[in-house]
Amino acid sequence: MKRIDPREQEPQDPRAVIGFYHVDLAYKDQTALQNISFTASNGEFLCLTGPSGAGKSSILRLIAMDAFPTKGQVIIRGMLASKMNRRKVPLLRREIGYVFQDFRLLDDRSVYDNVAFAQLVVGVKSADIKMNVMRVLTQVGLWNKRHRLPRQLSGGEQQRAAIARAMVNSPKILLADEPTGNLDPVNAQETIDLLFRINDSGTCVVFSTHDQQIVKAFGERVIVMNDGRIASDIKRKTMVDRTANLTDRMYQPGELINA
Amino acid sequence: MLKGAQVRYLMKESFAGFHRRKLTTGVTILIMGSSLLVLAVLTLATLNLDHLLAKARSSIDMRVFLLESLDPGQVAELQPRLLVIPGVKEVKFISSETALHEFRTSLGQDAGVLDFLETNPLPASYHIQFTAGARNLDSVRQIRDEIAAWPEVAEIIFNQGWVDALEGWSARFRMANLITGLIVFIAVVFVISNTVKLTMAASSRLIQIQKLVGATNGFIRLPFLCEGMLQGVLAGGLAMGLVAVASSFMQNRLSGMIFFSVEQIAGFIMFCMVLGLLGSWSAMRKYLTLQSEL
Repeated sequence: MKRIDPREQEPQDPRAVIGFYHVDLAYKDQTALQNISFTASNGEFLCLTGPSGAGKSSILRLIAMDAFPTKGQVIIRGMLASKMNRRKVPLLRREIGYVFQDFRLLDDRSVYDNVAFAQLVVGVKSADIKMNVMRVLTQVGLWNKRHRLPRQLSGGEQQRAAIARAMVNSPKILLADEPTGNLDPVNAQETIDLLFRINDSGTCVVFSTHDQQIVKAFGERVIVMNDGRIASDIKRKTMVDRTANLTDRMYQPGELINA
Repeated sequence: MLKGAQVRYLMKESFAGFHRRKLTTGVTILIMGSSLLVLAVLTLATLNLDHLLAKARSSIDMRVFLLESLDPGQVAELQPRLLVIPGVKEVKFISSETALHEFRTSLGQDAGVLDFLETNPLPASYHIQFTAGARNLDSVRQIRDEIAAWPEVAEIIFNQGWVDALEGWSARFRMANLITGLIVFIAVVFVISNTVKLTMAASSRLIQIQKLVGATNGFIRLPFLCEGMLQGVLAGGLAMGLVAVASSFMQNRLSGMIFFSVEQIAGFIMFCMVLGLLGSWSAMRKYLTLQSEL
């Protein structure tokens, strides 16, 4: 007889776009995550922080269904990871955007083609691809540089191109893994501004960073990871001023309370 | 169902793989082409032997020589008995006089030597031709054994040696063809598989991004499958082209040599295409999983 884990019987938050319920994750013999529980709703901006190896990337992998929990439940957009048909994973990924520290653009394709590629893969019609790519490249300020190759752009511009690619399929969740890691403060601010704009349209943004200055300045809700566990899950009492510049925000004290 | 833009992209990607790795692809096609050339040559040799064998079979006949002591009535009785044997199509009586006349004709200018003969040494015989279904060694041997048991028969001859040799060679070539085919099959699948693995390793970022943006494994695989098939077709075409050139030289020296029919060429190319497809498929089975390595 199959023993039912009592932790799997817990009720889940129906509003949650991301739901982790007592999740463990192990790679072979190594434990990556232990008893992780949190939920995130539409329009939430969630900062994941902690030292390297704390489990931030493992959480992102679980959200993208790039890994599956060894215990507990992960529910993404109402889909339960443990019962997910593996063939349907690509369909879920079409609702998730990704931004990385190393941009991950295709070097031999223009900015336009890099962004259009995300639409092409999911089968959008040619005419719609043109419209959508134009819209997002205009939003990130790269329409004039659409014919350039990634190597002909600055780091900040490459990251904006990567954000445009993440935005073009109108994702419900955006995963940003150390997106400002390779950028100077000005470009980091531009990147965060864009992420806020995407978040304003209702997309749940999960922003992973180990940069404590950025967390202090921008963190509206901060999950601190340590050694594969959640050390704290805290929410700022007052909203951050998303229109202020990076330097101002760096010095904005911000009051944090337990979520 | 693929949309127009996706089909265009997949076609472009399949050819782009060739363009980006001209040298690797060129070497792969040459290696595969040489392996397939061996197979094509052996297949053509088997085909020609089969052709010769079919001709030899169609000319299989038998001469049943009768005892000299038989009277005309006994000789005439034999004809209906021969005709009822299964596999016998036609029976023609050749008297000893006719046989001598034929022999004299065949000797031409040297026919004078026969003038020294006091009596006709050639016995009367029956010339037997077989139905198409009986033109094989087993049937003919069976018929020979049956007739040989008749007391009226002095000797039976048929062109056994020639047919025997051809059948032996044909069987050996078939076996060689089968073994070579198997070796070539494994070699070509292996070579294509490795080339596609190289292509996939070179395209790892592209594959990773495709997975991230929600491409299905089928969509990711298609350009690689097309590339493998294309390599197979080109290698097969190369092998077939070389065989065609070589055989056109040979045809001037070996009369009666045949070449592949259009259907056979198409079949060979299809076979090469399937090899390419299998090679690509085996490469991808290990490489493509759901993991996007975030």
